[in-house]
Amino acid sequence: MLNLILNFVSACRTSDLRVSTAEVIDSVRQLELVNVLDEDQFRSTLRANFAKSRREQRDFDRMYDLFFHDMRPDAELDPDNTRKNEMREALEQMRQETSDDEISQAIFDFLAGDPIPYLKEIQRLETQAEEASKALKSNLSQLSSRLEVMLRINQTRNRLLQFQGDNQSEGLPGKNQGMASHMLERLEVANRMLTQDTRPHNDGLKQINTYDKQYSGLGERPFSNLTEIEIEQMRTVIDQLVRKMKDIMSRRYASRNKGKLDVKKTLRTAQRYLGIPIEIRYRQKPLRKSKIVTLCDVSGSVWSAARFMLNMIYSMQDCFSDVKSFAFVSGPTNITDIFEKHEVNKAIEKVITDTDINFDAHTDYGEMLTQFHRDHLNLLSKKTTLIIVGDARTNYHNPCEQLLDEMRSKCRRVIWLNPEPEQFWGTGDSEMSTYKAYCHEVRPCRNLNQLIYFIEDLVF
Amino acid sequence: MIGFESVEDVQQKLESVDYIPSREIATVVYLAAATQKPILVEGPAGSGKTELARAIARSLDLRKIRLQCYEGLDEAKALYEWEYAKQLLYTQMIKEKINDLISASSSISEAVDKIAEQENAFFSERFLLARPLLQAITSDEPVVLLIDEIDKSDPEFEAFLLELLGDFQVSIPELGIWKANHIPIVLLTSNNYRDMSDALKRRCIHLYIDYPEKELEKRIVKLKIPGIEARLADQLVETINKIRDLDLKKRPCISETIDWAKALMVLQINDLSPEVLSDTINVICKYQVDTKMVRESMDKVLE
Repeated sequence: MLNLILNFVSACRTSDLRVSTAEVIDSVRQLELVNVLDEDQFRSTLRANFAKSRREQRDFDRMYDLFFHDMRPDAELDPDNTRKNEMREALEQMRQETSDDEISQAIFDFLAGDPIPYLKEIQRLETQAEEASKALKSNLSQLSSRLEVMLRINQTRNRLLQFQGDNQSEGLPGKNQGMASHMLERLEVANRMLTQDTRPHNDGLKQINTYDKQYSGLGERPFSNLTEIEIEQMRTVIDQLVRKMKDIMSRRYASRNKGKLDVKKTLRTAQRYLGIPIEIRYRQKPLRKSKIVTLCDVSGSVWSAARFMLNMIYSMQDCFSDVKSFAFVSGPTNITDIFEKHEVNKAIEKVITDTDINFDAHTDYGEMLTQFHRDHLNLLSKKTTLIIVGDARTNYHNPCEQLLDEMRSKCRRVIWLNPEPEQFWGTGDSEMSTYKAYCHEVRPCRNLNQLIYFIEDLVF
Repeated sequence: MIGFESVEDVQQKLESVDYIPSREIATVVYLAAATQKPILVEGPAGSGKTELARAIARSLDLRKIRLQCYEGLDEAKALYEWEYAKQLLYTQMIKEKINDLISASSSISEAVDKIAEQENAFFSERFLLARPLLQAITSDEPVVLLIDEIDKSDPEFEAFLLELLGDFQVSIPELGIWKANHIPIVLLTSNNYRDMSDALKRRCIHLYIDYPEKELEKRIVKLKIPGIEARLADQLVETINKIRDLDLKKRPCISETIDWAKALMVLQINDLSPEVLSDTINVICKYQVDTKMVRESMDKVLE
């Protein structure tokens, strides 16, 4: 029993579920308390200990089904182990005939009942990083290695069919037949694992579609269709709005001083005046100011929305304890300095003229995430809200969504603003549905009303 | 040991207080009680997370202590606080007594020593204002401690909780370390507003309460609303399940199903029709857009 659990644990670990030793000990101890023959109880016990959030449950369920259902028939098929040995021999023979590259070996291990090498192989495929930027970028290398595994599976399938046929012609039907078909079934499982969707459950996702239509006309015009005059008008509106919100905020700061009497502090200051409480101190609740990191796609149409957002965020800077911003087309460029030194509208111009952003390059979200992850991960902490503004159109490059997942685990919230209307998300080269699984919140942001609604949510 | 004897026992006891648990819920509750670990409960709003804590408390006949988390919640509100005002008042009132005490002393340091001897009188439980967490730990009998919406609290508070959940003891500098008299059954609920830290997750066992299976939901409705006709209950649950399949902003949960059933009982309606659904839809859908969507797909929902 213990061995079985330990094998299962190592299978879970290879597919990126973090299971600590303490959790293994807990689960083994708990299994003694429940009726392990009742699958519901057995499964619930393992699940309660190994998958500690809804996001991990899908991974767990997949591993559980693989381990205890798809791979299990071994024990049932042959109680006395003879079949198993025969099968192993047959597999060993086939293994020697094939070339000994890692993938084939892993597949044979999988057939023989040890899924771990194969899981590692799949895990490697999924997290495979794109090699450093070449002249021509694509996510072909990931696709092609996937293809390679598929080819190997096909090879193995042919080999198995041949094995099945051989035996038939030799007049050994029956048990070898069963053995071969059993192995073929297992190969199907391997194939299925390669093609299935590995996105986690994301029930907590807040998807905002509605908003208050505060401003009609200008408020409803998509950012991308604004004329010069309208941009000027827009700025006035934003200025007014920012002033209004700042008012509300400062009123809030003022009112927090009217809290309850803080006896401790009052007594302490009273010491100075012979113990007479001349100065009354109130309990001040420090308002939680969040840190903000923004990643803005500055290519083409998206920039029009991104700059208005930056405009607002920086106008309200004193509502946040720290604002860092990056602009990207393919790699992120730190534009915090520009915004700190210059007035907002000037800064927006400067981003285009004074930085080394290559506006002609193709947008590459994967590359951006890779570089951000490599160079700036230390900016993210449990107090940071990460805001990404972009259409998630990756030009068919590798989206590298695992990096976003890792960034999510480092910060408080990940919010994705998409300037495209929602019906276009996930069409063509848009990876929105992929990234969505790793965000806390996604919202369309293509006109002023939506932007205002978002900023209000963020500040209050 | 307090609690339950087996998974079946959990199921029976919870059912006896009108909470029908799924097999998974029963297993996790049993394990948590048996190994004295906290349960981290996740699930959509209205799926009965808080209700579970209430049901456990009722089924074991224990007191339930609840701590609602919010941004800015700190130790003073969650654990304990000295009542300075009360201390001050007492000092004023017994001023003469203190004077008597030190009048005989010849030097200041002697007087200070004498007062120091009486320190216990001021830093005693009398002046300690116990907040929910301290109440749970110092209670004379076992309790159920519900820490609601832990995801709304700050990361600092989460870190502070770790100490408590790990050892079930708190240290009060003036009084020393207080160990729990009885280890409470702890439930933490989360709505997934943010991810919890790994350290916290490691100390808990995890439970996800999903929308109940149809059969289970029918049983729950019949149990909660005894007067309901079986046919109507079936119809109701089927409809709710179809509404859940729609792409809604907030899908109706078990609590909405029950509210709806209650509403229909009050209105004395025994059969679902498009008009009925349209009239009572506000019980099920909490957003204007959702209401609109259900109205539009009325024929699909009511087959």
